[in-house]
Amino acid sequence: MSDGWLALLQQALSLLFSLDPDVWSIISISFSVSFAALLITLVPSMVLGFVLAFAPFYGRWVITNLVQTLQSIPTVVIGLLVYLLLTRNGPLGDLKWLFTQEGMILGQMLICAPVLIALSQAAFTSVDRRAWETSRTLGASWCSAVWTVCRELRMPLLLAIVAAFSRILTEVGCSMMVGGNILNVTRNIPTAIALETSKGDFAQAIALGLVLLILALILNFALGSLRGKAMPRSH
Amino acid sequence: MSKVKLIARDLEMSFGARLLFKADALALCQGDVIYLQGDNGTGKSTLMKILAGLMAPTKGHIETVGFAKNAWWRRNPLLGKAVYLHQHPYLFDGTVEYNLTYGLNFSSETKAKAKQRITQAIEMAQLGSLLHARASNLSGGERQRLAIARAWILQPKLLMLDEPTSNMDKDSQELVLKMIQQLKYEGTGMLLSSHQNCALTAICEQQWHIEGEQVMTTYPHSQSLPAQEPLYVIAN
Repeated sequence: MSDGWLALLQQALSLLFSLDPDVWSIISISFSVSFAALLITLVPSMVLGFVLAFAPFYGRWVITNLVQTLQSIPTVVIGLLVYLLLTRNGPLGDLKWLFTQEGMILGQMLICAPVLIALSQAAFTSVDRRAWETSRTLGASWCSAVWTVCRELRMPLLLAIVAAFSRILTEVGCSMMVGGNILNVTRNIPTAIALETSKGDFAQAIALGLVLLILALILNFALGSLRGKAMPRSH
Repeated sequence: MSKVKLIARDLEMSFGARLLFKADALALCQGDVIYLQGDNGTGKSTLMKILAGLMAPTKGHIETVGFAKNAWWRRNPLLGKAVYLHQHPYLFDGTVEYNLTYGLNFSSETKAKAKQRITQAIEMAQLGSLLHARASNLSGGERQRLAIARAWILQPKLLMLDEPTSNMDKDSQELVLKMIQQLKYEGTGMLLSSHQNCALTAICEQQWHIEGEQVMTTYPHSQSLPAQEPLYVIAN
């Protein structure tokens, strides 16, 4: 049994290090789609998180709770929604995005946004009001003061970004439904793992799983080094 | 160049249904050193924040005289010119040097002048050995000195100091007093709040007192006048 595992691991590593074109195409699609979804969603979501944290407008409570609910919606349900939107007879059918990377990006944006909004709102809510006041009274413009506050909150905001990116990079349901799992077009790491496992080709599934594991390690160590030896701050 | 002046008229501040204070007219001029007195919760910090442009009053308005007109994206002329210092100063995450020079990023000071001010501020606040230390590791007195030096570098026209020597040892208090005297010498108008009379309040030439939801201005206690009988009341 252990020899079997070892052999599989060797095959998986060989696929990765021999730069197997199929494996690296899957990795490349996975990263390009998820990065695009994250980049498009990042700024508007953070702005919305900021507004929900500070702007006292009517309906803020409802929106906050809606956003938090959206975080826990299964990705297949979002996949179904995007499928219905993009299908030939759907409201966005003319875009012809079904089974394309654009469609996957749209789906992942919908998954990513609630996580970013909710976590950034929580981060902004936790800010010490004196940070804003000190920045403003020392002459910072409104934009510079926002930047200063974001700098003060860089750890929770980075955590929000990492959490959102992890969620979209590892989701299966939406990518499978909207992308269709087409090799070299829409097949990404999670859909490939699901497919290869169902076919019994565990080596490729393990190779792709290793990529996700290594990425998780890199992200966490990067965050850890940014955090440094920071201790809880006294104000 | 004419002295800058803040004139608050018909000021009223409430939080919900609770009236905090009222003032018919208050004037804070460059060169004035005013002692703001009042019990806990009477609104000393709030009044200072209003005068520093950080909060809007519920009613009334603040006239600014002699302040340079800012660009359209910095419409509030008070920010950066009338500086408010918290009772417990907020120091940004980073080194002492980063905090000290923070305000210079937004000032129009020449590099040579800024460098000169930084050197003077470090010397005055005795922060030379701490420049590369993390600001979060400073003691209470060092934090307060850094906060005052950070404001001093900007040469503010007006400065609001909220309990600047509370919870400080004698040496730190003396150092802060020297820094404030230096600011006074340079003509910065100051509004100082404190719970008790101390060396700091002795340098004040005028008093504002918040009592019974009214802000009253009086002559200083050093002028052999009964402290409880305001001689001159601008706002009541």
